[in-house]
Amino acid sequence: MAYSETVKNFNRIRDDMRQFYVYGFKSRDEYTKKSGRSYDDERRRLESWLGDYVQFRQTPEKKTVFLSIDSRITHHNPLYKAWKTKSFTEGDITLHFLLMDILAEGTFSLSEIADRVDEMLSEFTEPKTFDESTIRKKLKEYEKEGIVLAEKRGKTMYYSRPPMEELPSRDVLDFFSETAPCGVIGSFLLDKTEEGDDLFGFKHHYITSALDSEILCALFPAMSEKRMVTLKLVNRMEKDLKPEEVVPLQVMISVQNGRQHLMAYVPRLDRIRSYRVDYIVSVKTGDVCERYDELLNTFRSMQSHIWGVSTQGQTGSRMEHVEFTVRYRDNEQFIHERLEREKRCGTVERLDGNTSRFSADVYDVREMFTWIRTFLCRITEIRFSNEELEQAFREDLERMYRMYEIE
Amino acid sequence: MLFSELYSTYYNAVARILRSAAERPVDKKELQRLILENAFGESLLTIEPALSEGRWQLLLPGGSSVLEKAPEMPLTTLQKQWVNAISLDKRMRLFTDEPVLYPDVPPLFTEDMITVTDRYSDGDDYEDEAYRKRFRLILSAIRKEQLLRITTENRRGRLVKRVILPLSLEYSEKDDKFRLIASGKPDGGTYNLSRLKSCSLYNGEYWKEDMKTHTVKMRKVTFELYDERNALERSLLHFAHFEKEVERLDEKKYLVTISYDRDDETEMVIRLLSFGPMVRVTGPDRFTELIRERLRNQKELFG
Repeated sequence: MAYSETVKNFNRIRDDMRQFYVYGFKSRDEYTKKSGRSYDDERRRLESWLGDYVQFRQTPEKKTVFLSIDSRITHHNPLYKAWKTKSFTEGDITLHFLLMDILAEGTFSLSEIADRVDEMLSEFTEPKTFDESTIRKKLKEYEKEGIVLAEKRGKTMYYSRPPMEELPSRDVLDFFSETAPCGVIGSFLLDKTEEGDDLFGFKHHYITSALDSEILCALFPAMSEKRMVTLKLVNRMEKDLKPEEVVPLQVMISVQNGRQHLMAYVPRLDRIRSYRVDYIVSVKTGDVCERYDELLNTFRSMQSHIWGVSTQGQTGSRMEHVEFTVRYRDNEQFIHERLEREKRCGTVERLDGNTSRFSADVYDVREMFTWIRTFLCRITEIRFSNEELEQAFREDLERMYRMYEIE
Repeated sequence: MLFSELYSTYYNAVARILRSAAERPVDKKELQRLILENAFGESLLTIEPALSEGRWQLLLPGGSSVLEKAPEMPLTTLQKQWVNAISLDKRMRLFTDEPVLYPDVPPLFTEDMITVTDRYSDGDDYEDEAYRKRFRLILSAIRKEQLLRITTENRRGRLVKRVILPLSLEYSEKDDKFRLIASGKPDGGTYNLSRLKSCSLYNGEYWKEDMKTHTVKMRKVTFELYDERNALERSLLHFAHFEKEVERLDEKKYLVTISYDRDDETEMVIRLLSFGPMVRVTGPDRFTELIRERLRNQKELFG
């Protein structure tokens, strides 16, 4: 098939965009799941959409293409461009602009619209023709999207266009398109406004979640209608897994690594667990779940023991306890403040003017390791209820001493 | 449906072309300019012939539009639902007391469907009337390029008055805080909005040309990454928002170089430490020494 800048199926590019951006070291040969031509096409598309951010590294053995984006300098998430690349036919685009123009004039029946389409196109030497069923199909599609209104009068269907409505200000769209879930929709709205100055910058800004927007767009309505969903999943090795029927309860977003998880009750396992949203390929909405409120309440009561997203430790024990003490100088009171603001479901006690203790009871202490390590150089004491985990933590520390040759 | 041609760059670019054509015929040069400005790098190869050869029958041979009017498209249900969802966000009141709402559709999501797991708990107080007033004043001053007189507290707790030219507002999702980026004399700076003691328009004489922007001094750190316990993916996602380069050294080992703001060096040190033995900083020596110092101190504490 000839190369095209646009694509039909978003899932085809979803993973590649992430790989180019997050990994940035893969060469042509390392995209093993694709043919060489397919890789070349995707690389070409990427360069066309995101030219300013695409970089190359050439070594004697290989050429690597990667995306390098400093999100502090970039005011708008460049990955949103991927959502604006849907392919269409010659008829689709022609009919789109004609229909919007015709319906701006008032309310018309299908045959009146068809006549008007013919009339408008008659100025071309070889006018396209659209039969009524094609136009009806397009109008139905637009009715579903909310950009066409349909009303039956007697046996005839009449079509009109909803009024043009006020948009939020550009500042509002600028800000929330980068900070709210499914912000790409804000970016679609920004495309309807005149260009303006970008007044906002973003620090600690994770942009990859943009690629999972369609999954969230399917999960949110299911959650608000308290419905079951069937998830089509892939695992880390990108292998398809068996579809899983679950009750979606909560979307968990990390602002420190950009990951998004769905917390869901799984009837097959009779427990609540997390699913990475980027591993969900599709969502099919099912029946209303009669137990939804009860399950949501159960999840809410569990939340005070969830550090990240895990609801089960690897050791199998129900709950694990951890506590550690940090010491700081008189002019380092910010350490206590850090503990306070970062403690999540834990508890912080000030033992004296220079010592504070953190403690927590969580399902999975291993999730806390990375955070605890940010206090290295100050930890005077640490205790895990699970000896195996304590040993693992201390072994990691010993490895670090050896790596940096600390005597 | 989110992935729809209705939101596509091609449709938007064609809408821009037809808006121009509604005013006066669009010649070849103008057509090319509009495509280059509003579409992707290679879109010219598709859009221009499709319109000029009449495959997309929207532009007549003379360059005028086949439409009666400039093109418009109403909001889709999805767009309205998203706007309704953000109108419920507590930060919306920073911008307006009367957010735009579409009563005919439900919000796409509500606050109780989402938990941010790791946001710091001492974020800015958006309920504070004075904060909101300040926010709006700053936003308007940035747009109008107006000078502001601000009072801040220095490290010794003394109040310092400054005249600044506000440039942008920087938001951190992790801190849930806004910072004002401004130029000033003798140097520009970054000010936490919540720490401003006062902020008002400055009408006195001041030469904007004399004002300097605070230059961000970038530094680089290089580290080896050992891909155990899914560390490759975890760390590259964690550092995804930096400008970076990654090179595979062998099956399990990668070399990563990240550019960071010098002012954020301590944060970078603890972020790298948090990956434990999966990350080993290899340079520059000064940075490696910062890591070693922390580890030395830790070893002394544990004995």
